[in-house]
Amino acid sequence: MRFVRFIGFSIVRAWQGFWRNAMMSLAATATVILMLVLLSALFIVITGLNSGLEFIESKVAVTARLVDNLSVTDRNELVEEVEAYPGVASVEYISPSEAMDRLRQSYREVGRELDLGDPDSNITLFASLEISLDDPNASGDVGAALTAHDDVERVLTKQAEYDTLLGIINVIRTVGLVGLGLVGLTVLFMIINTIRIAVYSRANEIEIMRLVGASDSFIRWPFILEGVLCGLVGALVTIVLVAIAWDPIQPAMVTIFQMPTAVSAQFLTTLSVILLGVGLGVGAIGSWISVRSYLSVAR
Amino acid sequence: MTAFLRRRARTDAAEASVIRMFDVGMTYPNGKVALADVSVEIPSGDFVFLVGPSGAGKSTFIRLLIREQVPTTGNVRVAGRDLIRMRRSQVPGLRRRIGIVFQDFRLLPNKTVYENVAFALDVTGSPRAIVRQRVPQLLSLVGLQDHAHHLPTQLSGGEQQRTAIARALVHDPAILIADEPTGNLDPVTSWEIIQLLIQINELGTTVLMATHNQEIVNAMRRRVLALEGGLLVRDEAAAAYEREY
Repeated sequence: MRFVRFIGFSIVRAWQGFWRNAMMSLAATATVILMLVLLSALFIVITGLNSGLEFIESKVAVTARLVDNLSVTDRNELVEEVEAYPGVASVEYISPSEAMDRLRQSYREVGRELDLGDPDSNITLFASLEISLDDPNASGDVGAALTAHDDVERVLTKQAEYDTLLGIINVIRTVGLVGLGLVGLTVLFMIINTIRIAVYSRANEIEIMRLVGASDSFIRWPFILEGVLCGLVGALVTIVLVAIAWDPIQPAMVTIFQMPTAVSAQFLTTLSVILLGVGLGVGAIGSWISVRSYLSVAR
Repeated sequence: MTAFLRRRARTDAAEASVIRMFDVGMTYPNGKVALADVSVEIPSGDFVFLVGPSGAGKSTFIRLLIREQVPTTGNVRVAGRDLIRMRRSQVPGLRRRIGIVFQDFRLLPNKTVYENVAFALDVTGSPRAIVRQRVPQLLSLVGLQDHAHHLPTQLSGGEQQRTAIARALVHDPAILIADEPTGNLDPVTSWEIIQLLIQINELGTTVLMATHNQEIVNAMRRRVLALEGGLLVRDEAAAAYEREY
């Protein structure tokens, strides 16, 4: 019963405090929103790039260009040999004419026609083996084995693209997290100051509370909840903003980053939970630091 | 009307002295000696004046009793509690056994008389039923039942001090400490406040009143503790403000 009274008392006082000190509370809330919007943007970009990475990972394949004039027997032996490599799912032979057809097709997809100059020219492409893997980590070993093979002229893997994307993600993640950390510190500082001003403006009340025997938790929690309220309002506003922005963003996530539709459907829920957690956490930590330092000085 | 005050007086009878100080000394970090070798016992139900010039140690004396400070030497017991060994978490419990009023009333200006008194119950988690029962009782005791919904700014000084006294009594304290309660009041109103304190004392609450008001101390003829330079220079029953011999 006493606990229920305590909770009710703290919530009512926090609400009153938030509006009594409205300008500072709203300023602190605005910084929370700024931080959470940046967090959302970072989260969206990183998740998108990770989806792209996973897509490339799933498509990891090795292409082996074959030497010219390889006999059918040698080629079949090579195919059988490669099929036996660990991590290899399947091997497909692409003849020079098939390669040419694909090239033409890829030109048509972007609305152009492949122009080989002289129609009678005997330009031919390499014959190749397209090897798909069921273990993306096998790409290195398979590539090395093929490179050493006499019948293979050159080995192409998607490892380089994968590594480049991974590098980009790591840079964005690091820069984003450092930026987010700095904004987070600013938010923390704003909340500490907001609550400190609230505490000082109610110094008389706090003194009376102490004199009539209010426990530390009765004095402390309304202020902590006031900070939590800044975080909560900030998180809710950000969730609404992200939800509005999500409609145009979602198709881009699916098409540009190849994000699976199932992941994309859950994305907003996951992001909302993260925003709420971070908003409430920063509000609580900031006000806790503020109230704690005040209460330990003013006994 | 005041059954709860009488009931409390009986419970505290078990502890004969409601305040007990033994060899208490208080030296501040800057080296100033605020109190030295003070030993005092105040029995339950007593009415005691604490007198002395400014800087004599009266405020320190009161701060030690409500454990706003801990003495550098000696022992302090209040309402059966050892204040030296008391943990921080036990201080609110002690403060509910002590009511305190000040010269400047310390009311919350944006709350009504009723709310100011109820505030002391709210902030200690008292159930609403208790608040609804206790606050009117106390307003009636201090004669403010008709001013319950007035703001402090709409009250006279005497009425504000009565509100503060009602608030000090909400937890049914064993001791009421009044620090210069008449300091801001005219002589007639001062006497009204003293009459109220006497009434509260007669109901069983120990009253300790720090004052510079010679007229009141001389007329009342109660026990007087006189401090000078941090020393207890006089502890006399039925005494006057100044030494009479």
